[in-house]
Amino acid sequence: MTNVTVKKLIEKIEGEAELDFTFNQGEIEDVKINFGFYRGIEEILRGHDAWDALVITPRVCGICNHAHLLAAVRAIENGYENAGLKINLTSKAKAIREFTLSCELIQNHIKWLYMTILPQLEKFVGAVSEENYAIKATYLASTITKALAVFSGQWPHASYAIPGGVTCDPTHLDVMQAQSLVDESIKFFEEVVIGLSIDDYLAMESVSCFSQIHGDFGKLLRLMLVNDMGDKGYSHDRFIVFGDSILAKPGRSIITNVTNVDISCVQENEQKGTVSKAVTYRDKFYEVGPLARGMVAKTPIVRSLHKRFKDSVLSRVFARIHEVALLLDYSKGLLNKLQLDEPSCVLNADVRLNDFDGVGTVEAARGSLIHKTTVRDGVITNYDIITPTQWNLGNSTKAEQGIAIEAMTGSLSIEEATFIFRTFDVCSVCTTQ
Amino acid sequence: MTCQNKPKLLWLQSITCNGNTHSFLNHPELFFILSHFEVVHHPVLDSSYSMEDVIGGIVPCDVLIIEGSFQEEGFLKSGVEVSSIIKHYANKAKHIISVGTCATFGGIFKQKNPEAISGFCFNGEEKTERYSTHASKLISLPGCPMHPRWLSYVLLMISGKKDIPIDNLHRPVELYGYTVHTGCTRNEYFEWKIDTKTFGLKEGCLFYETGCRGPYTRGSCNKILWNDINSKTRAGTPCFGCTEPNYPQESFFRTKTNMGIPDKVPLGVSKRAYLTLTGVAKSFTIQRFTERLMEYDK
Ligand code: SF4
Ligand code: SF4
Repeated sequence: MTNVTVKKLIEKIEGEAELDFTFNQGEIEDVKINFGFYRGIEEILRGHDAWDALVITPRVCGICNHAHLLAAVRAIENGYENAGLKINLTSKAKAIREFTLSCELIQNHIKWLYMTILPQLEKFVGAVSEENYAIKATYLASTITKALAVFSGQWPHASYAIPGGVTCDPTHLDVMQAQSLVDESIKFFEEVVIGLSIDDYLAMESVSCFSQIHGDFGKLLRLMLVNDMGDKGYSHDRFIVFGDSILAKPGRSIITNVTNVDISCVQENEQKGTVSKAVTYRDKFYEVGPLARGMVAKTPIVRSLHKRFKDSVLSRVFARIHEVALLLDYSKGLLNKLQLDEPSCVLNADVRLNDFDGVGTVEAARGSLIHKTTVRDGVITNYDIITPTQWNLGNSTKAEQGIAIEAMTGSLSIEEATFIFRTFDVCSVCTTQ
Repeated sequence: MTCQNKPKLLWLQSITCNGNTHSFLNHPELFFILSHFEVVHHPVLDSSYSMEDVIGGIVPCDVLIIEGSFQEEGFLKSGVEVSSIIKHYANKAKHIISVGTCATFGGIFKQKNPEAISGFCFNGEEKTERYSTHASKLISLPGCPMHPRWLSYVLLMISGKKDIPIDNLHRPVELYGYTVHTGCTRNEYFEWKIDTKTFGLKEGCLFYETGCRGPYTRGSCNKILWNDINSKTRAGTPCFGCTEPNYPQESFFRTKTNMGIPDKVPLGVSKRAYLTLTGVAKSFTIQRFTERLMEYDK
C-alpha cells in the first residue's frame, strides 16, 4: 500500500505549526509536528544576573507569561533553600501568587474555548453560527486580567513575584476592586458560559448531570456528543503533574492508578525536523494539562467522564473548561481570606545568594512547567525550561508515538485531526522557546 | 456591512512571544477600534484571509502591524522567509506600525544573535538599511509589550486621517513624551530621595537601590494605566525600561550606583545639578516619610 503524506500549516493557535500527515488506506497513520523557530531564551539568560530570569523568562510566551514568572521565582527560592537560606513565604504572599496564577489560567482557558474550540468545532461539523465569540472571550479574559493586574501591576509580562514574596502591598481598597472583578467574571461565566449557578455546577459529580449544563459550554458539549467526540482522540492514557496547586498535587496517573513523581526522571530529547525538544518520564510520554490534573487529583466529574469516554477529545475539552469554574470559585475564596497585615516579602532586597541550583515547577494553563537554574558568582550559567506543550506535542520516538500524535492517528480526515490537535491548546512559542 | 472603504489591516508576526497580540486583546474597546478597519489577517482573531494567502502575497494591505523582531534569513513560514513576506507587505502598506520593542528595536530576542536580529527599521537606536525605504510611513510603538491603548490611539488617528506627531525614533509624542516616572504614586519619595529599601512596600521609591528606570524611560505606563488598573511601579516592581532601544540591560532589580549616586539620572538633568538637588533634599528629615502609611496590625 502506498502512503500519502500531506503537509498542512496550522494557524490561529499561539503561533503556527506545520503538520505532515501520513495516510495509509485513508486513515492517518503517522503525523510529524514541526515548529519553525527557536528563539533561544535559555541561551539569552546565560551570563545574566540570577534575578533577570524573572523579567526574561515571561517573554517565552505572551499567554502564559505569568506561569513562567512563577516558575522562575520558585527556581530561585528553591536554589536559595538548597544553599541553606530558609524562606518562609507568608500566607499572604502565597495567596496573592495563587490568585494571580488562577487569573492567568482562566483567561487562557476562556480564550481557547471561544477563539479556538467552539469556532473550529463548528467549522468542522458544519454548524457555523454567526456569533462573534471573540467578544465573549476578550470580555471575560480582560476582566479577569484586570483582577490580576491589581496585584501584579500589569498583564501580560509583569515581574511582581520576587524571591521571598511579592512586590505589591495591597490595601483593602485593592482587594475590593479585585473581588468585584472576580464577581463580574463569575456572573458572566454563570450567565453565558454554563447557564446555571456556579455552585450548582460544582455540585455535579457525574456525566449523568451533563444535561443541566446550558450556555455555550452546554452547546459545545452537545455538539461534541452528537459528533462522537467521546470516542475520538485517545492517547496513551498516562498523565503527569509536577506543580503543586489547588488543581492537583504532583503525581502521575496510569489508567486510574495514581503514584508519586520524581523530577529527576524527566528527560529532554532533541528531535529531527523540529526545533522543539520532546520530553519523557522514564522514557515514556505522558499527557500534561487540565485532563492530567483532573485525573491525578481524582476530580469526581473528570473521573466519571474518563470512565465513560477515556482520554478522548470530549474528556480533554471538558477538563479544561471545568477548571475555569474551579479557579473562579477558588480565587474568590483566596481574596476573602487574604491577611493584609502580613508582610508581602520576607527577604530584604539586598539578600542575594551567588551560588545555587534550583528547580521551580508550576501548573501552567497547558500543564506542568519546569524551570531549572544554575547560578555561579551571581550569574546564570545554565537555565533549562521544560514547557507543557513539549510534553504533549513532542514527535514520536522509535518506542512510541507522541501524545498528540497518538491522539490524531486513526483519524480519517485532516480536518478532524487538526481539531484533535487543537484540543491540546497548542502553543508554538512555548514549545520552541 | 460592506468593508470596501475601510482600510485593510494586516497583523504579521515575526520572531515573537505573542505578548503584543495578547496585550491588545485586553483593550476594552477592541471591537469598536477594529470596526474601523477590515481585518484581512490577524494571528488569532477571525480574518478574511488565511496565513497561506498571506504567505502567497495576495492579501491587500493598507495598515501593516509588525510584531516581533526581524531577521533577514533563516526564519521561515511554510518554507518562505518571513523577512520577504514582511517586506512585500511593507511596500504595499500606507502605514507601518511596529508594535513592541522587538519589532521596533530588536528587543529581547535580538540578544540571541545581535548580528543578525534587529527591529524592522531600527537596530537599537541605529537605523537599519530598510529605514530609508519605509520611514515615511513608520510609527514605532516600543514596549515589552506595548500598551493596548497606545495601539488604539495610532489606529484611530489613522482611520480619522489625522497626522500623528512623532519623535526621531518615530514614537508618537502623545504617548512617549512622558517618562514612566510621570504619574507614579511614589513620586513624593523620589523627590525627597527616600528609597523603599526592600520590596513589598507601598512606601518609598525604587530608583535609588532597587533598579527603577522610570525617570529615564519614555512611556506613559503611569498615565495610561495597564489593564486600566495599575502599573509596575505602583505595584512595587521597578520599571525595566522595556520601551527603550537598549532594552534589555543587566540586573533589572538593582540600581547601578557610583559612590551611592544612581549611575543614570532623570532624563534631561545634568549629573551635577542632580547631585546638588540630592544634597538639599536629603538634608530634610520628614517624619511622615519615615513611617508606614498605614499599619494593619495596630
Ligand atoms: S518608583 Fe520609579 S517611577 Fe516611581 S517615583 Fe520612583 S523612580 Fe519614579
Ligand atoms: S513600566 Fe517600564 S518596564 Fe513596565 S512597561 Fe512601562 S516601560 Fe516597560
